[in-house]
Amino acid sequence: MGLINMIEVRGLVKTFPARGGLLSQKAVQAVKGVSFTIPDAGAVAFIGESGCGKTTIGRILTGLETYDSGEIYYNGQNLTSLTPRERQERLRKIQLIQQDPYAALNPARTIYQTLMAPLTWEAKRQQKNRDWMERRAREVLELVGLNPDVVLGKYPHMLSGGQRQRVVIARALTVQPDVLVADEAVSMIDVSLRLGILTLLQALRRDYGIALLFITHDIAAARYIGHDGRVYVIYQGEIVEQAATDELIQSPVHPYTQALLSAIPVLRGLEQPGPDRHIPLGEFALAEGNGCRFAPRCRFAEQRCRDEKPPEVAWQHEEHRHTCHYPTPRRVVPEPLEAKS
Amino acid sequence: MSLHDPVPAPEDAGIQIRNLTVSYDTDRGRFHALNDVTLDIRPRHITGFIGESGSGKTTLAMAMMNAIHNPGRIDGGSVLLEGAGDVLRLKGEELRRLHGRYFGFVFQASSNSLNPLKRIGAQLMDLGRSHGVTDLRALLREAKTLAERMGMDGDRVLTSYQHELSGGMRQRVGIIFALVLKARVIILDEPTTALDMLSQQAVLEIVRTIHQERGLTTVIITHDMGVVAEMADRVVVLYAGRVVEEGPTQSVLRHPRHPYTRGLIHAIPRITGNLHDVEPLQGTPPDLATIPTIGCVFRERCPIRAPICDTVAPTPTSAHGDGIVTCHGVDQHD
Ligand SMILES: Nc1ncnc2c1ncn2[C@@H]1O[C@H](COP(=O)(O)OP(=O)(O)OP(=O)(O)O)[C@@H](O)[C@H]1O
Ligand SMILES: Nc1ncnc2c1ncn2[C@@H]1O[C@H](COP(=O)(O)OP(=O)(O)OP(=O)(O)O)[C@@H](O)[C@H]1O
Ligand SMILES: [Mg+2]
Ligand SMILES: [Mg+2]
Repeated sequence: MGLINMIEVRGLVKTFPARGGLLSQKAVQAVKGVSFTIPDAGAVAFIGESGCGKTTIGRILTGLETYDSGEIYYNGQNLTSLTPRERQERLRKIQLIQQDPYAALNPARTIYQTLMAPLTWEAKRQQKNRDWMERRAREVLELVGLNPDVVLGKYPHMLSGGQRQRVVIARALTVQPDVLVADEAVSMIDVSLRLGILTLLQALRRDYGIALLFITHDIAAARYIGHDGRVYVIYQGEIVEQAATDELIQSPVHPYTQALLSAIPVLRGLEQPGPDRHIPLGEFALAEGNGCRFAPRCRFAEQRCRDEKPPEVAWQHEEHRHTCHYPTPRRVVPEPLEAKS
Repeated sequence: MSLHDPVPAPEDAGIQIRNLTVSYDTDRGRFHALNDVTLDIRPRHITGFIGESGSGKTTLAMAMMNAIHNPGRIDGGSVLLEGAGDVLRLKGEELRRLHGRYFGFVFQASSNSLNPLKRIGAQLMDLGRSHGVTDLRALLREAKTLAERMGMDGDRVLTSYQHELSGGMRQRVGIIFALVLKARVIILDEPTTALDMLSQQAVLEIVRTIHQERGLTTVIITHDMGVVAEMADRVVVLYAGRVVEEGPTQSVLRHPRHPYTRGLIHAIPRITGNLHDVEPLQGTPPDLATIPTIGCVFRERCPIRAPICDTVAPTPTSAHGDGIVTCHGVDQHD
């Protein structure tokens, strides 16, 4: 882990306002006071169920969404205090890679045209010529493991899902980003190609010091973006547990983390379920009052959990933190049956 | 619920697929998407179809129901459905009735199969009517129960339009459509692809329960080995329109015989164990136009390629007790 934190976020809050009219909707507080750091060249993963606020945080960080309150520090500088123009310039170096490599690329543009658009901007900023742009286009494609001679002239539909996602990453690299925010970047592509993309992201970290915010519900994938990664577990807009990736996987103490990890499919024949595996299924009520938000779904909840909101505290050491009144490590993830013969 | 067909479908609806070949007409020519597929889908079992994008999983499922449409064509073979004979010989009204009696199909990306202008409940009633269900109220009750068992608010789902539901909810609604009629064969095409892990488990759990309660013949199509491992009794591995391996799931996962199956299993990001034990599958998924027409279709990506693979297509040999594997290299490796 680097010494400086590339990004430091404190008490981030985001509420989507209520909508009136025919399709009325209550206000949604999507992010409720979230704090996290992304170390220089570090790897951070957000996991949590659909709707917990992962994408919203990623969009705020890439400047695509505003926030109500909280502070974002970028290389020690408070972005909240910058002029909009300066803020935009800074956030340019934080690039978002979206889930769907099919939707992310314009079907009517060749890969060459797709890369030239951001490169034209870059060339203007850096006062470079056409030659530089052409060279750079080939360079970023080679960085993501594609042969420029083969793909430059192609349209997106002529590429496989894995190749398309590589092009999306190449496009993000045109601005020499500090941080890549990968929002479910591998979940839509074939399992056989996922590992290749994960290895690529890891190599970009290692070789170019690009930090990663990896948003996923497949926590196994988060292991493959670097051994020094950190995972934040998000439940209804709040961080409920955080730790180094393998520590969180092996000894989660929050029952919600345990529920998420229990839901990982067991490869029967190769693995057996963890002894404490338990998957909460079915309908549940939303938490009311001031207690723990997870209490209505938690099989260990006591009266105290419904009455009193658990503060964030450390478990055994400062790096492993959680918000549970009754933290208990449990073994929930699948375990290998035995050493391979 | 009463269906207007007087003869009920038999309890055990096994399917025997023989020499099934399907082709698509494309702007680059006519290509085989399924080539000489022979396979038994066992009654009361959950069978998983696995393979990379374009391997022919959806085509095989559609062909099993004789539901291949232009530019596709079934070129040959037979599909014997217990109690109904060769499905490929049926057409028109006869075929439509058979579909209603036997099959529940959840389309891949099922969100697109819903009508955007009608509430979900109204669409369910349409479905019931078109299959001669008289007690529509019971049908809606059943749908509501299913929704709740999958972790949704039943009343809300039935009174919603599709755009008011999240992607994950729409996917579960697709599954309700397949389960609500009393089909004997349920085919789910990528039923959990867009879902988070907890919603995925909720869906798998209900499919498993209903499969058992009703003694169904269930097929799950997925490219996620985890889903197959959790759900399927047997797994069919497809590559370039061929069945390259078939057998009991645990045996195939534990002792994959085909190099493609081995590659697929080794490429899965795992939650525990050594990070270096996994490796990406080499090469890219096959493209219809470039699948070799002689020799083995997998050879370009194969780590154990031998000279014979260039000239002779391997034929299925027995493996996993009652399963098969289609590879020249199996003997040397076991
Ligand atoms: N533009 C918007 N207007 C209103 N509500 C929104 C908007 N964007 C997100 N939300 C709501 O904010 C909450 C968080 O959404 P978000 O997309 O961040 O979740 P997520 O964790 O990324 O979920 P998923 O895993 O499904 O992508 C949800 O309740 C969502 O419905
Ligand atoms: N309507 C069509 N016209 C032309 N080719 C088609 C058509 N439908 C499928 N194909 C081709 O047939 C092959 C098999 O397709 P199929 O949809 O069965 O694959 P699949 O295994 O279901 O893939 P996926 O995981 O992407 O759904 C592919 O090469 C595909 O491009
Ligand atoms: Mg999201
Ligand atoms: Mg398909």
